[in-house]
Amino acid sequence: MSEIILKVEDLRKRYGDNEAVKGISFEVKKGEIFGILGPNGAGKTTTLEMIETLREIDGGTATIDGVDVAQNPYAIRGMIGVQPQTPGFQDKTTLTELIRMFAAAYGEKVNPKEFLDEVNLGDKADSYVENLSGGQKQRFSIVAALVHNPKVFFLDEPTTGLDPQARRNLWKLIEEVRDRGISVILTTHYMDEAEVLCDRIAIMDQGKIIALDTPKNLIKDLLKRGFKKEQHVEQANLEDVFIDMTGKELHT
Amino acid sequence: MTLQQKLFTVWTFFVINMRRLFRDRLALFFTFLFPLIFLFVFGSLSHSNSTSLNVALINESHSPVSKQIVTQLNKDKIIKVDKSITSYADANQRMSRGEIDATIELPASFGDVKDGTPAGQAVVRYTGNNEQAAQALTSLLQAKFQAINSTLVVTHKPFTVTSKETNEHSLSAFDYTFTGLLGFSILGAGIFGPMNVFPELKKMGILRRLHTTPLRVWQYFLSTMMGNAVTGLLSVAVMFAVAVSVFHLKVVGNLLELAIFLAFGIIVILGIGLALGGWAKNERQVAPLGNIIVFPMMFLTGVFFPRFLMPQWLQGITNYMPLTPVIDGARMILTEGKGLLDLGSQLLVMAVWCVIIYAIAFRVFRWE
Repeated sequence: MSEIILKVEDLRKRYGDNEAVKGISFEVKKGEIFGILGPNGAGKTTTLEMIETLREIDGGTATIDGVDVAQNPYAIRGMIGVQPQTPGFQDKTTLTELIRMFAAAYGEKVNPKEFLDEVNLGDKADSYVENLSGGQKQRFSIVAALVHNPKVFFLDEPTTGLDPQARRNLWKLIEEVRDRGISVILTTHYMDEAEVLCDRIAIMDQGKIIALDTPKNLIKDLLKRGFKKEQHVEQANLEDVFIDMTGKELHT
Repeated sequence: MTLQQKLFTVWTFFVINMRRLFRDRLALFFTFLFPLIFLFVFGSLSHSNSTSLNVALINESHSPVSKQIVTQLNKDKIIKVDKSITSYADANQRMSRGEIDATIELPASFGDVKDGTPAGQAVVRYTGNNEQAAQALTSLLQAKFQAINSTLVVTHKPFTVTSKETNEHSLSAFDYTFTGLLGFSILGAGIFGPMNVFPELKKMGILRRLHTTPLRVWQYFLSTMMGNAVTGLLSVAVMFAVAVSVFHLKVVGNLLELAIFLAFGIIVILGIGLALGGWAKNERQVAPLGNIIVFPMMFLTGVFFPRFLMPQWLQGITNYMPLTPVIDGARMILTEGKGLLDLGSQLLVMAVWCVIIYAIAFRVFRWE
């Protein structure tokens, strides 16, 4: 059994009369990619924001590596990395400077070049973020969130709006982060993404977790209940065509 | 995190944001050139309406004495003769518009020789609004004529009066204009700066992202304060150079004390901007509130009009506005040669505001 890094117990959030998160519990292990799926308004983002210390927790507890989120928000912020839905960085600032600023926010001094090389942005070290492509921006945003070597890494819909190459590239990058022993928690609307990327997923609806398992087991369970889909045996789909014709490498 | 690490954070943010400012042409324009434009406009205005009397001179006489007086008046520093005016009609019109203060008329008979000596009477014409100017002009002319009289008729003068300029430098209109414009530049950079920048940073999610780091609000404020103090002082230094070289500003006080005093003033006023920008979710929400705070300060604290022109009760109230002691103190150091130790009451008012403003700014700050 691998060790538990995030433990959420009976977590609740209420906005006026509306209970957005209705007492959810789950655990995330060290070095796994954990996906939270669900329709808009299911409470995914609220759940993440409570664990990220951005929103007050109304009930229940969340602990990261044994540290209580509600009681030690500043200690927690030093242990987590957060990649928001739309990565925003100040303009007219070079990537090197931004890495330096983020490290400084954690009280650390780093060598920005190392981090930029890690995500193939070494030659962009002196460019401004506003001159990066969407995929480059996402990769930069990820590395900026990891400058302090966090234990848990949160991503909110990381691949929304990216082209297929950039998307696959980002999946690879997220897997590399996981392989460094960092637990990754992400939300997504794409089922293919969850299936390929996530070790385990939780499906949320109306503030509750309605299913929690590996993608494989969830599919198996559904089939066991007698679910049948119209059978089309196709050796390839349109995305395979697209990737085959335009290349798997990143277009930069 | 140790305090040293926290201050390292502040320093890094300060350095990188300063570099960023110098890459931003629009920001440079508003920080450095915008106040200079105001300095040139208001500087030239206050220069032209110094203590001179603008008059028309209409000479109908052809006598040598009249010519002598005309050349004398044309050279005079206090009485400024507008040579473009040659007719009574023109002169009257200009007087009624307030463009000139009075008209001096030398009648045709002026300087005609009577009983062996030339004689005549000049007339000063004025409109009801310019009685004071006319009286001043009359006595100036009388003094001039006295000098001419004494060359013609030898008289014994037991009582005389003479005027001497003291060494004490008194305040000119420009001294008030300049310190007022310093206040204007501090007000603009300190309030409109963060008021526009913070909502923008929130809209782009930049502050939200910083919020996920252990960065504290005070660290963020402190780095902003340092940046504002440095750019503010640089902007003041540029205005200063122009004021001294172009408008002959006389500097009496100690510049280091002035810099320290202004840095404190900048930080107090910046607090208002931090409170407004830190509170606002978007630009539209903060603009009206910003104007309610900025405009009274612009017109009541001596930015554009010296406060001594206000009625006593209004001066009493405006004494306690946050920008007033900054402008008054700057003027007292700059032109009266006062030191920081003489500015106890100004510093006290500023310190009280500093505490109130920052208490509010920290309380209302929102990261998104």
